[in-house]
Amino acid sequence: MPSNMVKLLTYLTIALLALVSIEAFAHGVDDKTRAFLEQNSGVQFIPFLYIGAKHMITGYDHLLFLVGVIFFLYRSRDVLLYVTMFTIGHSTTLLFGVLSDIQVNAYLIDAIIGFSVIYKGFDNLGGFKRCFNWQPNTQWAVLIFGLFHGFGLATKLQEFSLADEGLITNLIAFNLGVELGQFAALALILIMINAWRKLPSFQRFSTVTNTVLMSAGVMLMGLQLTGYFTI
Amino acid sequence: MQHTVSTKTLVKASISAVVVAAIALGTFILPAEYNIDPTGLGGKLGLTALAQAAEMEAAPVEKTKGSDEFQTIEVTIAPGRGVEYKFYMKQHDKMTYEWLTDGEPLYFDLHGEPEGDTTGYFESYAIATTNEMKGSYTTPFAGSHGWYWKNKSDKPVSVQLLVKGQYEVIGLKQ
Repeated sequence: MPSNMVKLLTYLTIALLALVSIEAFAHGVDDKTRAFLEQNSGVQFIPFLYIGAKHMITGYDHLLFLVGVIFFLYRSRDVLLYVTMFTIGHSTTLLFGVLSDIQVNAYLIDAIIGFSVIYKGFDNLGGFKRCFNWQPNTQWAVLIFGLFHGFGLATKLQEFSLADEGLITNLIAFNLGVELGQFAALALILIMINAWRKLPSFQRFSTVTNTVLMSAGVMLMGLQLTGYFTI
Repeated sequence: MQHTVSTKTLVKASISAVVVAAIALGTFILPAEYNIDPTGLGGKLGLTALAQAAEMEAAPVEKTKGSDEFQTIEVTIAPGRGVEYKFYMKQHDKMTYEWLTDGEPLYFDLHGEPEGDTTGYFESYAIATTNEMKGSYTTPFAGSHGWYWKNKSDKPVSVQLLVKGQYEVIGLKQ
């Protein structure tokens, strides 16, 4: 039964991914969203909620980090604790960054987000214990990297000159949308990982999975740093 | 549940992660995203065309440098889409322009983005919804200047843009 469920979920995921357009994968904000943001002012609660949720669900860098974070968490209490830390982190800098108009270079922030993925893959392999006989506190790490993820979100939003009118409400809507998107994505990831965890292949492939995670992090970092130094 | 892998596995994992990432970056990602092609494979695989397409999507123009004579540029905007047509201009450069559509009014934003800016800042000189406009402007700063047009109708709209002055054509950004 569990193996059938895993198969089914895999097919479902592939089908879902096939529906996501290339446009959504271009990690900026797409043309329609841009036109909307540039033409509308005032309170736009639901649209901002939607933009936030969409950004999170199609933001593979945020999702990769979350996969790494919950990979070895099997108690719901732990999952809730770590996700709360991450949420506190990114909400703080998202609100603070936009409201105090702090401009951070998007390539640098995205490179740090890539680095957070490398860190988590390495940490999951027990790399810190093995190399330094010491492991950075994982809860603090999630909180701190959460702060950087929030700056990334703030930078994306600031690419538009947002109208001051209704800014705070719109920001809160965007932030709530980010959380909704995160929980939707998390639910899917959790179901898959928990189903997989029961199978012997989970132990066998956990090293490979975290190596792939590290590799994806290096790719993200390389992509963003190249952008930073050439553009 | 989490276990610490052996040093040998850890080293193997780290090295293969970096090697795989480096190969993916060098052969696929950088050629396709930035037109940077260290191995030459990106060009052979047709990936650099992706990055080049983004740079050269502009309709061909006869000349790329502005003069005292009007040049005509044609832009077609798909239904429900927005496009930007930009020119590089130095500080205090002047452009005289006229544009008109085939009748359908367009939302537009004539604006400039400072050179070297990465924050996404731009300054708008005119925003309205109309089917024609004439005027001129002198740039307050060096950078890319031009129009954002948004076609809110359900059929394609073509714009005829006449420009003269001091500028270099950057062209269309989708």
